[in-house]
Amino acid sequence: MKYTQKILLLTVLFLNGCISQFIPNTKEGKEMLIVEGLITDKPGTNMIKLSRSMPLGKRSTANPVSGCNVSISDDLGSRVSFNESEEGTYVAPGFFHGIIGRFYTLHITQFTESNTFNFESYPMELKPVPPIDSVYYEKVIIQESIAGSMPQEGCQVFVNTHDATNQCRFYRWEYTETWKMEIPYPVTNKICYITDKSDIINVKSTSSLEEDRINRYPLNFISNLTDRLSMKYSILVNQYSLNEDEYLYWEKLQNISEQVGGLYDMIPAAIPSNIYCIEDPNEKVLGYFSVSASSSKRTFIKNYFRGLAKMYPDDVCISDTIYGSDPIPFLNSSVWILESSSRPPYSVITSKKGCADCTVRGTTVIPEFWIEGK
Amino acid sequence: MKLKIYILIIILSLPVTLGAQEKYKISSNFKDVPFIDFVSEVERILPVKFFYIEEWVKDLRLGDYPDCTSLSCVMDNLLRGTTLYYYIDTFGNVVITSNYAVKVTATSEEKNNKFLPPTDYSSSAENQRTTGNTSVEIGNPAEKNKPGNVIISGYINNKDTKETVSGVTVFIQQLKAGSISNEYGFYTLTLPRGVHILQFSFIGMREKIVNLNLYGPGELNVEMNSILIPLKETVVSAQKSMTLQRFEVGAEKINITSFKLLPTSMGESDIIKSVLLIPGVQSVGEGSAGFNVRGGSADQNLILLYGAPIYNSSHFFGFFSAVNSDIIKDVTLYKGGIPSRYGGRISSVLDIGSREGNRKEFAGNAGISPITTHISVEGPIIKDTLTYILTARTTYSNWIFGLISDPSLHKSRASFYDLNGKITYDLNKNNKIDFSAYTSHDSFRFNSDTVYSYNNNIFALKWRHFFNSRFFSSLSVNNSSYYYDITSQFLPSEAFVLSHRVNSTGLKADFNWFLGRNEINFGLDLTRYSISPGNYLPGTDSSLVIPRKIMKEQALEGALYLDDKFMLTDYLSVNVGIRMSTFFSYGPKSVMIYNPEYSKNKSTIIDTLNFKPGAITSKYGGPEFRVSLNFRISDKNSFKINYNRTRQYIHLLSNSTSISPTDTWKLSDYYLKPQIGDQIAVGFYEMLFKNNFEASAELYYKEIKNMVDFKGGTTLVMDENIEKDFVNMRGKAYGLELVLKKTEGKIRYSIGYTYSKTYVKSLGSFSEEVINSGKWFPTNFDKPSDLVITFNYLFSRRFSFSSNYIWSSGRPITYPIATYRVNNKLMVTYSDRNEYRIPDYSRLDLSLRVSGNLKSHRIAHPYWTFSIYNVLGRQNVYSVYFKKEGDIVYGYKLSVFGRAIPSVTFSFDF
Repeated sequence: MKYTQKILLLTVLFLNGCISQFIPNTKEGKEMLIVEGLITDKPGTNMIKLSRSMPLGKRSTANPVSGCNVSISDDLGSRVSFNESEEGTYVAPGFFHGIIGRFYTLHITQFTESNTFNFESYPMELKPVPPIDSVYYEKVIIQESIAGSMPQEGCQVFVNTHDATNQCRFYRWEYTETWKMEIPYPVTNKICYITDKSDIINVKSTSSLEEDRINRYPLNFISNLTDRLSMKYSILVNQYSLNEDEYLYWEKLQNISEQVGGLYDMIPAAIPSNIYCIEDPNEKVLGYFSVSASSSKRTFIKNYFRGLAKMYPDDVCISDTIYGSDPIPFLNSSVWILESSSRPPYSVITSKKGCADCTVRGTTVIPEFWIEGK
Repeated sequence: MKLKIYILIIILSLPVTLGAQEKYKISSNFKDVPFIDFVSEVERILPVKFFYIEEWVKDLRLGDYPDCTSLSCVMDNLLRGTTLYYYIDTFGNVVITSNYAVKVTATSEEKNNKFLPPTDYSSSAENQRTTGNTSVEIGNPAEKNKPGNVIISGYINNKDTKETVSGVTVFIQQLKAGSISNEYGFYTLTLPRGVHILQFSFIGMREKIVNLNLYGPGELNVEMNSILIPLKETVVSAQKSMTLQRFEVGAEKINITSFKLLPTSMGESDIIKSVLLIPGVQSVGEGSAGFNVRGGSADQNLILLYGAPIYNSSHFFGFFSAVNSDIIKDVTLYKGGIPSRYGGRISSVLDIGSREGNRKEFAGNAGISPITTHISVEGPIIKDTLTYILTARTTYSNWIFGLISDPSLHKSRASFYDLNGKITYDLNKNNKIDFSAYTSHDSFRFNSDTVYSYNNNIFALKWRHFFNSRFFSSLSVNNSSYYYDITSQFLPSEAFVLSHRVNSTGLKADFNWFLGRNEINFGLDLTRYSISPGNYLPGTDSSLVIPRKIMKEQALEGALYLDDKFMLTDYLSVNVGIRMSTFFSYGPKSVMIYNPEYSKNKSTIIDTLNFKPGAITSKYGGPEFRVSLNFRISDKNSFKINYNRTRQYIHLLSNSTSISPTDTWKLSDYYLKPQIGDQIAVGFYEMLFKNNFEASAELYYKEIKNMVDFKGGTTLVMDENIEKDFVNMRGKAYGLELVLKKTEGKIRYSIGYTYSKTYVKSLGSFSEEVINSGKWFPTNFDKPSDLVITFNYLFSRRFSFSSNYIWSSGRPITYPIATYRVNNKLMVTYSDRNEYRIPDYSRLDLSLRVSGNLKSHRIAHPYWTFSIYNVLGRQNVYSVYFKKEGDIVYGYKLSVFGRAIPSVTFSFDF
């Protein structure tokens, strides 16, 4: 109960309770196989990623598992093998795409020093998905103007969709954001395009609604604390059809991942995958083999938002100003030039590479889909 | 009774001369004349007036007393062997009394005449202790040499309010024998003829000593004086020697007077918090709802108010009990040895005895504390016959929230109220009717878009009929309901109202029969349940929500019980009981049939069974045995053993650590089997140091079948096929409870230490239904070590001090142990369920009670209670939760009471 916890916190505030941070002291956990698989009805996007879990308290980085045999089969008996394109990422041949109404099963064979493990998924049906009706946004006032200061504005991105045939009752969305940004110093790599992928679970069921229609699904909130809204922003939304079991998987995952451990929170538990190990049922597998039809839509946002935070404030970026024309020690290894002039000779330097080079965060290459102007 | 008191007062105010008896000469012979006719004749010929109650004398006829020439001689002969006594004063008033006519002075005993005792009306307890003893003769002195034991019985009343007092210990030190008054205030004793000292004791009441000359069977009714409220005794626990007497291992009686002085957290005496001080009773966390008895989950406690079950026992998430302490007379918790008249929950019974209105005069009580305010009024509508009591309690926390300027808190609301009322009507001596009603309401709102509200309602009508002084019955009908509504306006197109409703109607007939050395209880218990698991309706006209109602669950639970408490010998008593319970759930109902080869899931449904209205969808039942043995090793110690089985057909579905107000109740059905509990317990009890100390050790082992847990991450509301997420569990618990109490004197204390373990394991065969690989693991409320110390010091009549200290092991918790990414989202995976523990818990509370002027006749008695909760300011961890921040998962400790919390409560009785 999300709200219950809030009320509790409120009571706690009321009673002078307190909250303090701590790191739990736990035993080293066993590494588990993580499967991220997605088969869609579009070619070119079908891939299976295999990795291993990371111990708690460490920054989570990729821990890929390579050298496995990965293939899928369908209910008509055809089988497609995947090739490892980069470490831990197995891609389907370019021509391959799923067909609506078919059932697909994932097969993984993992070779370890001592053993060979075979993993298999339950057969998953590819269900149709309607197109996205619209992706749009609204300005949201985060904070009203206080004592003459600039009010702060953010942006809420919504999705509308509907299925007139009432076939797709369970939806999942992913999105990819791309935005143009600029470093406020006269540096070489000044303007870049940054791309970021969604990292929250967005699922929605219309099974409790009369109509298979979703209005104003709040997909993404862009706060004023990033530079996403500073120049131009674009969001590509992918909409996937789910079957009910997969929907419940994501919902459960969301239930236990939001906030756990509180008295009124759900008791955390491992959410079973649709993949299991044939040889040893106790060998845990996390993740899911998703089989979905997909549709997508892209929207651009170019507007003036008030109260955006400065990403490159002078007091953060500017480390020193060096006068004279002597060579600067450790240039381009520890310090970088933000601005320089030869008359009078001086250089404004920074110790943060990101302030002097936008390619630290993005790329100067204009994306193919990018449309400049309004 | 009323009449008698007045008469006594009149008499005491009159000059008394012992020689008065010889004044009135009688010459006629009244052989075989009914007493009433005798009276009218004597009143005609002599200047005397008789005072008596007709019932006492209705069968009384005069004998042949040829040697008698005086009225007193006739009366002496006539009343010999009865329980009646008489007295003639100087004005010619002849007063007949029953049982009470007592003499205290040695001289009167020698003369073998019957005199009225000088009754003590002073309000000082010390005075009473030495002079309050009374002597009573029962039976005909001529029979004093007859062999065999005789039975005496009677009622115990509160002298001030005339309420019957249950749970009074009647004890005879020399015989090491005794008894306890039942719920009607009735007790019975089997004793040899002779002289006995009977000791009547009960918390909050002055101990009463009766010197009994027992010649034959008879009745001895006793009135006990309650101690003025500010002077109430402050022991938490059961009376001395009562523990030796009771059959049950693990029954605890708490008197309201004892817990009113306990330190409070928010200035409110709280019954559930007092219950938590009893060894073997634990909760998940400070201020969490519900409590756990001997390893049972929170829904396994039958909490009875007015004989009806309360489905949610707390306000404000458990910071307050749902029942206002103003209406509580006493509370009995059965941790084990549950009598066979109770059933339907497997771990414990918490029977809240409610007060009746004052029979004599209007009275009341009002109080104000930092968060709540309460008032109660009571009194007679018809004196001694028809009484009422009304209580109300509410918070003003909403007003406080309104004062907070923080915008999120400013719009938040949390409040509750509760109301209780009871009317008692004595139709006549043998028939009593009472009607009780209770309602409680909670409502809270966070940031104005979602409102939660929940309500308890109880109505109960009870008719008590006394067939005779050894055969009682009680017939009651009650209705109890609980419902909650969640109203959300967060998104106008999805505005909804979600509600859940439980309604039960019970019919209960209980019979209580004292037959020689047996006390036989039997009766019938019928309950009809109706549950609306969930209704999900559009909240506004513009909402797109489809109205959805999950099919009602309906069932009937019935039970017949019989038990016999039998004194085999003076040293060994046996209580054997059986409760036959049955349960039928009936349609209309659709039941999904799942493919048995897979774990139940939406996609593994293969068929649907449709049951017509009234068709039985499932039936369960069986015998529940309840057996206790009480072996008194000596007058100082006893050994008890008991076994009981209990069945439970209604379950609270909860997948959070603590139960929450929005958890739903569910009846046993096609898939959900009744929970079955078996407990065996042994106890050893000993009085130490001149009975000033009481020590006990209780050991129990318990097994629970068919507990239910859920597949990970399941959402429980609005799921019509919730059975697909069930995980069948088995539970076991064992523990040792040690208690040492000092129950006498100005300084009293008790130390209780419990060592207990409670485990569950999953029985599922599919991987989704297996928790911790099917191994035993500790429950959420497994706190192996638990120490509770309470201390009371009554340093004067106006000041009393009390404190308690609690230390317990931290509860188990599931920690995240590893992270991974799925679709770029950082996820965590968890350790085995309950593999880790939060830190130990420790808390000290203090409280000082100051009474205003203690004059008995003041219009109002004010008193102040100053409490400091968590004096040590320890930041006890209430819960631990985890939040992802960027790429790292952080843990947070949350303490509800981060420092000492002082509170002041002002109350007054009027």
